[in-house]
Amino acid sequence: MNDKVYSITFGGIGGQGVLKASEICGWAALYAGYHIKKSEVHGMAQRGGSVESHLRFGKKVYSPLISTAGADYLVCFHREEHPRLKTFLKKGGADLTASLDKVEAAVDNPRCVNTCLIGVLSTMLDIDQKCWMRAIETVFKKMLVAENKKIFRMGRDIGLS
Amino acid sequence: MAKKTTTQKSLLSGNEAIAQGAYEAGLSVACAYPGTPSTEILETLAKFPVIDAQWSVNEKVAYEVALGAAVSGVRSLFACKHVGLNVAMDPLMTSSYTGINAGFVIIVADDPGMHSSQNEQDTRWVSIYSKMPLLEPSSPAEAKEYVKEAFKISEKYDTPVLVRVTTRVSHTKEDVILKQREKAQKGKLEKNAPKYVMIPGHARQRHEFVEKRLKKLTSLSERTRLNKIEPGDGKIGFITSSVAYLYLKDRYPDASYLKLGMSYPFCDEKIRAFAKTVKKLFVVEELDPFLEEHIKALGIKFTAKDPSFRTGELNPELMPEIVGGRAKKVKKVVKRMPRLCAGCSHWASFAALKKMDAFVAGDIGCYTLACLPPTSALHTCVCMGAGVTLHEGLRKGAAQKKIVGVVGDSTFVHSGVTGLINAAYNQVKGVVLILDNSTTAMTGGQQHPGTGLSIRDEPTKKLILEDLCRACGADNVDVIDPMDVKGFAAILEKRINEDALSVVISRRPCRLIKRRV
Repeated sequence: MNDKVYSITFGGIGGQGVLKASEICGWAALYAGYHIKKSEVHGMAQRGGSVESHLRFGKKVYSPLISTAGADYLVCFHREEHPRLKTFLKKGGADLTASLDKVEAAVDNPRCVNTCLIGVLSTMLDIDQKCWMRAIETVFKKMLVAENKKIFRMGRDIGLS
Repeated sequence: MAKKTTTQKSLLSGNEAIAQGAYEAGLSVACAYPGTPSTEILETLAKFPVIDAQWSVNEKVAYEVALGAAVSGVRSLFACKHVGLNVAMDPLMTSSYTGINAGFVIIVADDPGMHSSQNEQDTRWVSIYSKMPLLEPSSPAEAKEYVKEAFKISEKYDTPVLVRVTTRVSHTKEDVILKQREKAQKGKLEKNAPKYVMIPGHARQRHEFVEKRLKKLTSLSERTRLNKIEPGDGKIGFITSSVAYLYLKDRYPDASYLKLGMSYPFCDEKIRAFAKTVKKLFVVEELDPFLEEHIKALGIKFTAKDPSFRTGELNPELMPEIVGGRAKKVKKVVKRMPRLCAGCSHWASFAALKKMDAFVAGDIGCYTLACLPPTSALHTCVCMGAGVTLHEGLRKGAAQKKIVGVVGDSTFVHSGVTGLINAAYNQVKGVVLILDNSTTAMTGGQQHPGTGLSIRDEPTKKLILEDLCRACGADNVDVIDPMDVKGFAAILEKRINEDALSVVISRRPCRLIKRRV
């Protein structure tokens, strides 16, 4: 493991599964052996307000928050939130919003967009496929695991194409 | 309960880590009233069958039940949000005198930036006021360890211990190592009136004890590993606590640090010694100048944050600004405001109030959002229960009669009921509207006496609100579904024009409850 700290900003609005997406990613990083800090705010935000989650992992992570122009990756699920959230992205960082159209076209159920976009993200991170599968098993209820694994793989294919 | 991995590691929020730490410390009893950002502490503890966990009616009740458990000889915990601690201040202040018989830990979660609160108070001051020790973890992994330490300190020094976190600690997740649970203590209730009966004669003795205890705790603060010096290049040094430490470490990895994990009583000798090792000293903390004012009184020269940073949450980007001695630049960020959910029955209740052009004394809950456009039909919000009592007070100077007090079901049970008794006793006429969505909705749907279900969703005695209101002395009690738009408006109109004290219970369960099950 190198000393690099990965910083990923997730954003959208209440009900889009923003926190679930960062949760999958957090557990995958845990299974890969990283130190993790993942920050979010619950409460009023869930009443349809802006939702934001910051995930940082590496050998040692201090701040749970990502600074302006500090994110390596931006995973945004709502286009109206994008102008605000893109200020987090580093110069040269990867903006996953570019894949949002493809992902939305690929999945039938809008509630699965989050898992699919995480599949795309997974192709860019130094985390083993096995860790992602374990993370999905941890985060979702049993009856939803198989479907989410399938959707995650669809996202992976989009990411690799 | 934490999800376990083969390495016994789990990704826990600060709140879950606090619960895990208390569980590992052999906790027996836990009490709280829900409040963001502290709610998940009790929700997590309730998942351990071995722990006697409860949603209490309000924070004062929760504190007293937990204190009683500690006096009976089992480890107990009370958790609340910052404003919740205000409700529990009466027992808190005197429990500092009585002390305990088994470990008693108070978790209080402040909300810098007011993500979900009505004020931005810095609860660290309570430690000085109550003369009780204060621990301040900066992350979930630390929170777990500090809670275990807090139980030890509580028992060794015969004191409740304050563990203060912030939203950022409570809602950050970190990988945390899970450990075995210590054996819980067996209760042992002993009569000891000079310690537990705080009549003046006894309390004078106990105040002497408290002052002596404070000296001993100061000596602990000097030697505890929670107050940690991390030597750096010696050019610049930071005295800091909580998340400010993490933000600084990100920006100034080579600096020297005195990280205060036990921030009260202050460790003056350690602070003096550290100050001597660095060329330029900074004191960086979130919210009030708690450390700053004390260290200034020690006669030590340092740079503190510009007073403009006393409001709002800190973040890593602000660190260079603070170190540079600059004032806060106000950045205007357009964020989507929260609003009532689509299909929520509160829309209907407030549509009727708006149509009547009533002045609405509001309370704490989802329905407080009705103050925002497009509804804009709620005109005060101060604290839990004030929908009922401010309504009474507002009538004193207002000629117009169309004043309505509004309160939620959980909030009414929390502290609205005393206001209703007061109104009846003092012959107030008017309308109190209880918006009964049969849950504590804003914090995520917790049970309360009116739902008839316990913290573990098990059936228990159900409080019948309409019977309670009648018993309090309300002249009329109506129960109506606000989605019956015409019927609801008619009842409101009728009651508001009567010379009587009326309660209208606007009842329709929150749409999010069923989805949860």
